[in-house]
Amino acid sequence: MLLSSYLDADTIAFETSLKSTAEIYADQIGRINRHHKLPLPSPQIVDLVLARDAVSSTAYPSGLAIPHIRLDNFNDTVIAMTFLQNPADYNGTPARLVVLIITDKSSSKLYLNLVATLLKLSANPDIMSQLQQARDGGAVLGLLRKHNICVKTELTCSDIMDSDPITIRPEAKLRDLGNLMNERHVAGMPVVKSDGSYMGEVDVLNLLKVGIPDYMLMMDHLGFLGSFEPLEQLFVQEDIKTVGEIMVNDGITLDPSASIIEAVFEMIQHKKRFISVVRDHKLLGVITAMEVFRKVFKS
Amino acid sequence: MISMIIAIAIFGFTYILIMTEWVNKMTAALFGGFLVVMLRLVGQEQAFESVDWNVIFLLIGMMMVMSVLKETGLFEYLAIKTAKAAQAKPVRIMLFMFFVTAFVSAFLDNVTTVMMLVPIALLIASELKISPVPFIITMAIASNIGGTATMIGDPPNIMIGSATDYSFIEFIYHLTPVILVIIASSLGITWLLYHKKMVVTNENRARLMDYNEANLIKNRKLLHRSLVVVGLMLTAFLLQSQLKLEISTIAMIAGLVLLIINNRKHVDQVLIHDIDWQTILFFSWLFMLVESLIATGVMDIAAKKIISSTGGNLKTTSFIILWFSGIFSAIVDNVPFVATMIPLIEKIGHGVSREAMNPVWWSLSLGACLGGNGTLIGASANIVSVGIANRNGFHISFKDFTKIGIIYMLNSLLISTLYIWLRYF
Repeated sequence: MLLSSYLDADTIAFETSLKSTAEIYADQIGRINRHHKLPLPSPQIVDLVLARDAVSSTAYPSGLAIPHIRLDNFNDTVIAMTFLQNPADYNGTPARLVVLIITDKSSSKLYLNLVATLLKLSANPDIMSQLQQARDGGAVLGLLRKHNICVKTELTCSDIMDSDPITIRPEAKLRDLGNLMNERHVAGMPVVKSDGSYMGEVDVLNLLKVGIPDYMLMMDHLGFLGSFEPLEQLFVQEDIKTVGEIMVNDGITLDPSASIIEAVFEMIQHKKRFISVVRDHKLLGVITAMEVFRKVFKS
Repeated sequence: MISMIIAIAIFGFTYILIMTEWVNKMTAALFGGFLVVMLRLVGQEQAFESVDWNVIFLLIGMMMVMSVLKETGLFEYLAIKTAKAAQAKPVRIMLFMFFVTAFVSAFLDNVTTVMMLVPIALLIASELKISPVPFIITMAIASNIGGTATMIGDPPNIMIGSATDYSFIEFIYHLTPVILVIIASSLGITWLLYHKKMVVTNENRARLMDYNEANLIKNRKLLHRSLVVVGLMLTAFLLQSQLKLEISTIAMIAGLVLLIINNRKHVDQVLIHDIDWQTILFFSWLFMLVESLIATGVMDIAAKKIISSTGGNLKTTSFIILWFSGIFSAIVDNVPFVATMIPLIEKIGHGVSREAMNPVWWSLSLGACLGGNGTLIGASANIVSVGIANRNGFHISFKDFTKIGIIYMLNSLLISTLYIWLRYF
């Protein structure tokens, strides 16, 4: 989700004069109060934030301070931002941007993700100086949107994929494929070139199909056949045909940033039990239906 | 005059697109059909009225019947039975299969027939360890010949049957005798061409004889019901003039009854996949396109030209149409050709007795249907059969097909000429 989606232009301020942290927090809480009902009176919250600051510093060397407080029964996460022309002093660490986060006691994941996003943002001097010069909340939101600053909210494919999957080269012979499937107990795998680029996928049905001629697949019924010699074709072809000849590339792959729901959707839609995770034609991993089930639904 | 030229230009251009398949065939016909309406060569209402719904619904009805019958496994059963009845002797199987293909094709669409039977021929050839190529070529040819025998066997006949008042039984009366002669002589040609070339070991023969074709009929109840419905449909076709029903109504009723008595789940499958909507739409728009030639007067002029050049002699006209249709259909799709020829022949027949026009109509049917055997691209059944062969690693080139096909085509057209001459003049 975009960081800007969690912000209001109103809760972003630019402060030119030198202020103490207590004054900054009081201003920020006042701004938040215009939009959200906080469970405690403002001065009390300011005290709580200051008390939290005293435990350990909430400022970072990049010039960012993230004071925060967790409130009981708040059931929300709100943010206020103040850009300072005169840095505020956090026990010797100067902060030019103070971001106050008020959140619920239980919602730690979003809070941690917000912190991670803000830290990453503050490490980018380009964007930071643009933000400093923005001079009003609307412009800050516009810049955050423009640079596509996102807060990670959900698990993505890259979180649950197997990033070191079993793969095979297109030039490998069918015998190698068969042995690999047999030894590693996998029914399908991505096909990648030696430079790691994704070529397609191959599964046990592609392999078995080598033994069945095309004309048979056109028939509606095969009940009259007891045995069939062409299935022996598979043994003949094993050392001749390569994986590249039987693999399929249906164009269905996932980006590492794809959500789990998208992965599940694609799997059901296209009846696939595994999908390759690909970015810039390179295979990054494999996500299997069984892993989604284990890691997401069973955990 | 200008509208005539535009109509001919659009028609010619669309025809080229259909022939070359540069764009999808159906899209090309659709585009041409609406282009003539947009350019006001023919009013929209008139264009829509020109669509022969009898043809359209006959096609839909037969596709429904076909898809349910196919599901019963009857045709595979028939093919395996045939191979076993031939005691797995290759030339005999080939002759039997030729006959079975021609017979099935007389009632079903040619493409459906070969799509069903050619895979079985490939299987049989593979078991017998002989080349399937002769089987594939002769079966495509057989389907084109067999399709000519009845009103419902081949699209040109469906269109002629609908445009004229010939009944189902009249088609059999006029066409089936000559087709039987052509089939008999084609079997002779097949024997001459192939009887020395095929040898099979006893071991491989035994494999084929061991087929258990009884397993193919999975749903006996459906088979029995379907056969009753198809039997009633064919009877109704034969009694068409007594029942005073158009053939499309009979086919639709039969198709719908079969759908209703079949598995509920299967109905969607039939309506979405087994009915070839592309073909159906292709036919509709083709009618609209041809209507523009009629409305602008192109047809009148062409008919007058033909009458004056033959001196109004129907014998000469018949032979010209037979051979011209034959050669033309060997090169291009016969459906648009017949769609164009029908109004032309109607104009020629203006003021001539129905009896006297018989040879002209049958010449069109025989020429257009049998000409398809002349080359690989002459008929859809040829293209589909060769396509199946290619996909299975048996390459059949244009030349491979044509050098066999042309023999059968010339034989068929010569016999047809003789037949028209002896029977009608």
